[in-house]
Amino acid sequence: MVAAYKALFNLVLGFFLVLSLEGVGRKITARVQRRIGPPWYQNFIDVFKALSKHPFSNGWVFDFGVLMALGGAMATAMIVPMGSTTWTPFPNSDNFFVIMYLFAVGALGMAMGMVGSGNPWASIGVSRALTQMLGYELPYLIVISSTIFYYKTASIHKLVELQKNGWNLLVMPLGGIIAFISLMGMLGKKPFDISTAPAEIASGPMTELSGKYLGLLHIMHVFAMFVEVSLFVDVFLGGGNLGWYLVKFIVVWVLAVLISSVLPRFRIEQMLKFYWGVPLGLAFLNALFVLLGWTL
Amino acid sequence: MKERTIWEQIADSFRSRSIWMLHYCTGCGAMELPPTMTARFDMERFGITPMATPRQADIMLITGYLNTKTLRRVIYTYEQMADPKYVVGFGSCTINGGIYFDSYSTINRLDYYIPVDVYIAGCMPRPEAILEAFNYLMEKIRKGEADGWKRYKENYDWYKQNQIRSLGEVYVHDEFHE
Amino acid sequence: MAMSTLLVSLVATSVVMYFISKASWKIGAILNFLIGIFLISYVFALSTGTTSELGTLFGQKLQLIWTNASYYFSLVSLLVIVSVMLFAIKWLDSQKYPAAFNMFLLMMTAGSLGVFMAADLITLYIFWEIAVLSSMLIVPMGKKESRKAAVVYAVMSASGTYMYLYGAFLAFQRYGTLNISEIAKHMVSDPSTGIKATIFLLLASAGIAKSGIFPLHTWLRIAHGNAPDAFSAVLSGQLVKLGSYVLMVSVAALPSLKIFSNIPFYSGIPATNYFLIALGATSIIIGTLMAIKQDDMKMLIAFSSVANGGYILIGIGTMDPIGFEGGVLHVFNHALAAAVIFMAFASVVYRTHTKKISELGGLIHKMPITFLAYLFAIISLAGIPPMSGFISKWMIYQALVRKGMFITAFIAFFGSIGSFLYVFRPLAGVFLGQLPKKYKDVKEVSPIMWLPMVILVTISLIIGIWPFPILKPIEGMRMDFGIAPTMKIADSSHWLIKGFAGNWNPVLVFNLFLIGFVIAYILYTLFPRPKKVDLLAPHKKEGAPINIYTGGEFIYNPDLYQYNTKFYAGFERMYEKHPSWEKLLEMLAKFFYDLGEWVHGWFFRPSPSAYTFWVTLTILIVFWVRW
Repeated sequence: MVAAYKALFNLVLGFFLVLSLEGVGRKITARVQRRIGPPWYQNFIDVFKALSKHPFSNGWVFDFGVLMALGGAMATAMIVPMGSTTWTPFPNSDNFFVIMYLFAVGALGMAMGMVGSGNPWASIGVSRALTQMLGYELPYLIVISSTIFYYKTASIHKLVELQKNGWNLLVMPLGGIIAFISLMGMLGKKPFDISTAPAEIASGPMTELSGKYLGLLHIMHVFAMFVEVSLFVDVFLGGGNLGWYLVKFIVVWVLAVLISSVLPRFRIEQMLKFYWGVPLGLAFLNALFVLLGWTL
Repeated sequence: MKERTIWEQIADSFRSRSIWMLHYCTGCGAMELPPTMTARFDMERFGITPMATPRQADIMLITGYLNTKTLRRVIYTYEQMADPKYVVGFGSCTINGGIYFDSYSTINRLDYYIPVDVYIAGCMPRPEAILEAFNYLMEKIRKGEADGWKRYKENYDWYKQNQIRSLGEVYVHDEFHE
Repeated sequence: MAMSTLLVSLVATSVVMYFISKASWKIGAILNFLIGIFLISYVFALSTGTTSELGTLFGQKLQLIWTNASYYFSLVSLLVIVSVMLFAIKWLDSQKYPAAFNMFLLMMTAGSLGVFMAADLITLYIFWEIAVLSSMLIVPMGKKESRKAAVVYAVMSASGTYMYLYGAFLAFQRYGTLNISEIAKHMVSDPSTGIKATIFLLLASAGIAKSGIFPLHTWLRIAHGNAPDAFSAVLSGQLVKLGSYVLMVSVAALPSLKIFSNIPFYSGIPATNYFLIALGATSIIIGTLMAIKQDDMKMLIAFSSVANGGYILIGIGTMDPIGFEGGVLHVFNHALAAAVIFMAFASVVYRTHTKKISELGGLIHKMPITFLAYLFAIISLAGIPPMSGFISKWMIYQALVRKGMFITAFIAFFGSIGSFLYVFRPLAGVFLGQLPKKYKDVKEVSPIMWLPMVILVTISLIIGIWPFPILKPIEGMRMDFGIAPTMKIADSSHWLIKGFAGNWNPVLVFNLFLIGFVIAYILYTLFPRPKKVDLLAPHKKEGAPINIYTGGEFIYNPDLYQYNTKFYAGFERMYEKHPSWEKLLEMLAKFFYDLGEWVHGWFFRPSPSAYTFWVTLTILIVFWVRW
C-alpha cells in the first residue's frame, strides 16, 4: 500500500515539478534572449486552457493513441525512483531496461495516435522522432550498459545506493557527459527538436491535436521529461534525500535549457551524424575504460 | 447574454492568459508581428505564442486584405479551429477593404463572413497598437464578452449566406479541382 | 500412440489429404486443422524422456526422444501451424492449388515434429529434408517470381544441409555414433580442437542457413516475400525456428562451453560461439537496415526475421543462463509475432491484392481487427512491455551487459531501436493515414481469418503478463543442458523474473500500465467531448475536401495526402550506396552462369565448323589413346 502512495506521489510531484520547471525554462530562455518572458506558472495555464477547449477527434485510434501515450508515460513515472531507496515505489521492478522500454509504450502510443490522425505532417514528424531515437539512444544505452557492468546492477535504487562514496559522474565523467548529450536529444531540446519543428512540418506529430488532446499529450510529455531527467540524476548524480534530488533535478534542467536556448536546429542527417560520431565513439571509449578498470 | 457557470468563468480566465495564435498572413500586417514577438515588445509575457496549425490555435489573426480566393481558405481554416476561438482583424483592410477597397476581388468587410472579436485600426497598426488590442481581447475573454464563436454558431445560416453570396460557385467547387 | 507411428502416419495422411482436398479443399483444410488440434493435445500429453524407434538405416537405429526442448519447440511450431491452418480454411479460396497446399503443409508439420523429436543426427536430417522439401514445394504457388524464390530457397537450404550432413558423417567416422547425447560425451573428451570445431561449425551451418543468419540470409527476403501469403507466416514463424533448433542443438546440446573450454575468446565465451555471435550480430545489422528501407511489406518483415534470428543466435550463443533462456524465449516471441504479422499482411493482400506499402493506407477504417492484431504483434516484435517480446529482449540484454560484450550489446540495441522504425512503417503506411479511393469498398476479413491472429496475440499478451508457464520448459531445457543448474531465473512464487542485475515483476508492470491507462481515461472523460472528424468524407461524397490541416489548401483526393513512400528518407539517404551481399552472390551466380554459357557455347555452336572441330579433336584423342 505504501508503494501505491509513493507511486501516486511520484505522479503528483512529477506533474507539478516539471510543469513549473517548463515555465521556468521559458523564463530563462526569454532572459537569455533579453525578453521578459511569461510567468513561471504559464504552462499550468496553457495545459488547463487546452483541456478546457472543445476538441476534434480524428477517429478511435487517435483517442486510443493519446490514452496509451499518457498511460505508458504515467506507468513509467510511477516506477522511477527519486534519489533514494525511501523514494523508490517498487524496489523489485525498477530495472533500467524495464523503465526504458516501458517508456517506449507511451512513445509508440503517441506515434500511432498521431499518424492515425491521417495527417502526413504527423507521419513525417513521427518518422523523424523515431530516427532521432536511433541517434540518441545508442550512445546512452552504451554508457548505461557500462555503468551497469561497473556496478553489477541494473536496479536504479541500488545504483543510487552504490554511489554513496562518489557520484557516478565523477567515476566516469566521460559517460556522464555523453549521457547528458543524449538527454538533450531525449528531451527534444533545441538542437534536437527536429521531430516537432513547427516552422518546417507544422509541429510534426502534434499537427492535428486540439483542445484536450493537446493538453493530455502535454501532460504525457511532462511525465516523459520527469522520467528522463530522473534517470539521469539517479544514475549519474548519486543519492540523497528528496530535497537534494530536487536540487539536482533543477540544476540538470536549467543546464539543458541554457544550452538549448542558444542553439539552432539540426537537420535529421546532421543529428544522426552528430550522435554516431563523437558521442558514440566516446561512449565506447568509456566502456573500454570500464572494462580495463580505468575509472576515477 | 447567458450567465456563465463558475467552471466557464475559470476556464475563461485561463483562456485569457494563454492565447495561442495562428497568423493568417494575407498581407503586410504580418510584418508587424516579428517585432511584437521578439525582444522589443515580447508578447510571450502575456502568454501569447504562435502555433503552427489551426487545430491548436485559439485566435486567428487576419493580417491584411482578403480577396475571394483567400477568404474561402480563411473560412476553411476558421472552421477547423477548436471552440472557443477568436478572430482579430488587422488593419483597415479587414474593416473596409483598405486602399484596395474598390478592387473587384477584394473583400471589404470581414465581419460579414466570420465573426471578428477585435479590430485593430491603422495601416498598418504599430506593435504598441497590437499589444493594446491583445490586452483588450484578453479583457473581453475574461469577461466572457468575446463570443464570436458562439455568434458564428447561432447565425451560421446568415454567415453561410454571405459567404456564398460573395464567393459564389467558387466556394463550393475549387477552381483547380476536377 | 508412439512417436514413430505418429510421424509415419502423419506423412501418410498428408498424401491421403491431397486426394480428399482434390475432392473438396474446404474439407481438407478443416481436417488439417483438426489434425493440428489433435497434435497439440498429443504434445501436451507426452511426458519427457519417452523414446521411440523409427527403424534401421544402414545399421543405424533411427531414434526419437521427447525432451523439454522437443516439447517447447513443437508447441511453438504447432501454435503457428494450427493458426495458419485455421486461417487457410477461408484464405485458400484465393489460391490456385489448395489441395497441394494442404498436403504439403501437413507433410511439413510431420517433418518439423520429427526434427524436434530426433535423438540422432541422421533422423534429424531425414525429417529436416521432409520439412524443407515440402515447404519448398509450397513456395512456388505464389506469384510469378515465386519459382525463382523456391530455387533460391532450395539452394541455400541445401548448402546448409549438406554441410550438416558432412558434419554428421565426420562425427560418425570419429566417434562411431550418431546419437546426439553420445556425441556430446565423446566431444567433451576429444583432445583435437580442430575436428571438434569443424564438426560444430558444419552442424551449425544448417541452422545458419535455415534461420537466415548472415552469409546465407538472402533466401529469406526472396522466399518470404514471394511465398503464398499465409505460408510466409509458417516460413517465418515456424520453419526458421527449425534453424534455431539446430543452432541450439549444436551450441547447447553439444555443450560448447565444456567442449571448447580450451579456446576461450572473450569473457568465458569460446571462439567458436563468438564466431556465431558475430554472425548473429551481422545479421541484426543487415536485417535492421534493410528492413527499414523496404517498400514491400512482406520483405520488410522477412528482413526483420533475419534480425530476430540474429537475436536468437546471440542469446543462445552466449551460453549464459539468462542469455540462453532469452534466446530460446525469443523463438516463441518471434514465432508468434511474425506469424500474426504475416497473417495480417495476408489478410490485407487478400482484400487489396497488393503488398506495396506505398499503394496502401488508411485500412484501419476498413479492417480494424486486423489492425489491432498487427499492432499488438509489432509491440511484441519491437520488444515493448506488456507483450511477451520484451521479456526475451530483456534477458538477452542482461546477458550481454553481464558478459561485458559492449559491441554486441550495441548491435542488439541498434536492432531493437531499429525495429521500432521498421515495424512502424507498415503500421503508418498500410493501416493508418488516408485511405486511397480505390479501396473504399474493402471489408474486414471473415472471422475465420482474424480469429487465429487474435488468439496468437492474446497468448502473447498473457505470456507477457504471466510468463512462468512458458519459462518452465525453458528452465527445464536449461537444466537438461546443464547451464548453471543452480541459478533460478523465473520465480513464480514472488512473480519475479530475476536477472543478474535486478529483477522485475511483469504483473506489476502490466498493472501499472493499466492504472496509467485508467487515470488517462478518467482525465479524458472529465473534459469536453470531442467533435468527430470524418476522415472518410471524400469517399462518401464527391467533392468533399478532407477535413484535416492542409495549410489552407483544399484536397479532394486523399491518396495525395498520404506519407508512406520512403518513410525514413532522412535515414535511408545515409546508406543508399551500401555494399550488398546479395549482389555479391548474384555476381557469383552470374559468373557461374556465364562460365556455363561459355562452355556450352563451345560444344553447341550453330556453325558446322565447330562440330567438325570437336569431332576431329575427339577422334584425335581417341586415336592418340589407342596409339
